[in-house]
Amino acid sequence: MASSSVHDAIIDPSAVDLWKTRKDRARFQWSSLAMLSPAFALLIILFLIPVGYAVYLGFTNLTLVGPTAVHWFYTGTQNLQRLGSDTEFRSSLELTAFFVIGSIVGVLIVGYGLASLLLRATPWVRVLVGGVVVIAWMMPAITAGMTWYASTTAQGTFATLIGLSNSDFLGSYPLLIVTIANIWSQTGFAMLVIGAALRNIPSEILEAADVENASKFQRFRLVVLPMLRPTMTAVVLLVALLSLANFSLIYVMTQGGPGNATNILPLYSYQQAFEFNNLAYGALIGNVMVIIAAVFGVLYVRVATKRSK
Amino acid sequence: MKNTGLSKLITAGAAMALIGVATAGILPANASTKTTLTVAYPSVYAFDTGPLAAKWWSQVKADFTKIYPNVKVQYIALPGSYQDVVNKLSLLYRSSSTAPDVAEMPSAQIGLWSSSGYLLPMNKYLKTSSWFKDFPKVIQSEGKFNGNIYAVNDGENDSELMYNKTMFKKAGIPVPWKPTTWQDIISAAQKIKKALPNVTPLWLNAGTGSGANGLLQGINNFIVGSSTPTIETKSGKMVVDSPGIKAALGFYQKVYADGLGASESALFSPNAVTDPLTLFKTGKLAMAVGSNYYGGNWTKFINAPYWPQAVATMGVTGLPNEAGTGIASTLAGWDLAIGSHAPDAQMAYNFINVAQAPKNLIDAANWAGWVPPVESDWTLPAYTNFAPPYNADFAKVLPSATETPTSANYSAWVQGMGEATGLFVQNPKTTVSQALSTFENYVTQQLGNSAVTKLK
Repeated sequence: MASSSVHDAIIDPSAVDLWKTRKDRARFQWSSLAMLSPAFALLIILFLIPVGYAVYLGFTNLTLVGPTAVHWFYTGTQNLQRLGSDTEFRSSLELTAFFVIGSIVGVLIVGYGLASLLLRATPWVRVLVGGVVVIAWMMPAITAGMTWYASTTAQGTFATLIGLSNSDFLGSYPLLIVTIANIWSQTGFAMLVIGAALRNIPSEILEAADVENASKFQRFRLVVLPMLRPTMTAVVLLVALLSLANFSLIYVMTQGGPGNATNILPLYSYQQAFEFNNLAYGALIGNVMVIIAAVFGVLYVRVATKRSK
Repeated sequence: MKNTGLSKLITAGAAMALIGVATAGILPANASTKTTLTVAYPSVYAFDTGPLAAKWWSQVKADFTKIYPNVKVQYIALPGSYQDVVNKLSLLYRSSSTAPDVAEMPSAQIGLWSSSGYLLPMNKYLKTSSWFKDFPKVIQSEGKFNGNIYAVNDGENDSELMYNKTMFKKAGIPVPWKPTTWQDIISAAQKIKKALPNVTPLWLNAGTGSGANGLLQGINNFIVGSSTPTIETKSGKMVVDSPGIKAALGFYQKVYADGLGASESALFSPNAVTDPLTLFKTGKLAMAVGSNYYGGNWTKFINAPYWPQAVATMGVTGLPNEAGTGIASTLAGWDLAIGSHAPDAQMAYNFINVAQAPKNLIDAANWAGWVPPVESDWTLPAYTNFAPPYNADFAKVLPSATETPTSANYSAWVQGMGEATGLFVQNPKTTVSQALSTFENYVTQQLGNSAVTKLK
């Protein structure tokens, strides 16, 4: 009887093994833990322990010098309360937001613009311009900072070029200039990544858009942009992380000044820890940066994972 | 257990070790064994040039090694700016294995490091010192906290007005110039501006770019010369409002409102404090609130930059106090201290004793642009003839100078005052009350209400 054979198959003990080895479900191998343990150990030693210690320090009264440099202790939420009422911290957050968002927008626009122009350029132009842009990206932050400092202060390159040698662009528009300097230093990366993505757009799709009489803007908005979205998202997230952690460029150019005009979070954290000797409070500000960076990092992983699926 | 070859070897090794330990206390120590003395010093910032710093410290090491050949001196160079030196030394002190036995440190930090327990009181060693008693009281007390002396000075900086005599004559200002009031300075600057429109009349450090040194060679000279010179009270509170601070800010407001100061980019540069050296030489600056290292830098020996016409061109005069009754100046220097973890404190003091030898102190004063701490050295030809007339003139100011505050809260005060003075530069229409409000709010917000005070 057919039902009997089905019944037999259902209760057949050997059939139970199929559940354990089902190919449509993710399998976990306990033995993989041994293979992953060195990576776990590195993660714990090089990341979790230092970050955890930094988080703890943010809740103490540790100073660089003074009585609490040696005899420091846990102070509970004292530093958090201070953070909540710290107007300089709020100002620093706003400056950081401008710097990061401005850098992202600038890098995307300039990076896309260069990538699409170089796509149509003759080979030698592509090599020359592309090479120069990549050099700017590879340049150490200190060198980039010194270059922009020399170019944007009085008697600098830009002031001399426009014939107003006493114009001090850096002093007059410090946050804008350091943001532009950051865009300049990160555009090379965006140009390379977006350029590769543009070359991977199938020409048939673009031809189909032309056949449908799509305008250039429609072609960009409805065809190119959707196909570039995953790449752009990755660029946005990476530029955000790099800009959030940017210390050297701004420190070399303005040291967070004039006044506190460019005192973004990394510089404010440094100022608190090493100029005002408040190591604990500086650590707490650094922890805030880690949280913000973690949010960006999680977003990046989710986007990257989604793409691979 | 079988008596194997390995166990015989282990037994023999243990026996030899026991014999070695037992005889170590009986047999004389090896005569060539050297102890090590670690000495940390600023390799770039304190002296006029890095090579001169290296030269002086090599000289001291050679002198010390002649007297104590069994002690090896190991130098720890601290490169970078003032803040870099302070941070690096602070980090070295955090561990007994890295803390130097002797360190050269800025006087403003002595209180902080001594309160951390990093420094050893030197009172008992100084009782037999041949040079400490010759320090003026103000310099002796520089390293004194809670009755103990933690550091001894090896050179001081103070401030005076430096001016271009040729430019002053062209502007119709009599030379030698002897201002007696702050208004005299403003008037002179206004005449310079009218007669020489392409020259910056007055270099007055402002903004946050130059940090504590900008204030030391800037507004603090006016505050300490005012009717209320206190910056930090005896109870450790930072003054955020006083008639003296208002008066000093008022002077700054007048200078920048009348366009008598340098440009924003020049003042906000991290090198602002030393820019006048070159600006004077290139004829772009008429006068500055300057420091005693100016004169030496213009000599051929220092060459930073060399300006043969400096003596003929540049005059120097005391900065008048607010009341017009005398002169005023800030005072800050560099000191030598013994680490509290030094294994041989006596030897560490012996090193300091050698560094404080008369020739070494004079050389340090000349090569670093300092006033030597020993009063009788102020008139020695070896000092006065190195950079005449500047060395002698700046030494005369020292007894009238006021020491810089030393508490941890001073850094926040510096930042706040830098922001306040920077406002006048960025917007010459800024009022004194606006600048004062910015300063007071910043410092109070950073330090808390309990750490600040106002004076009437």
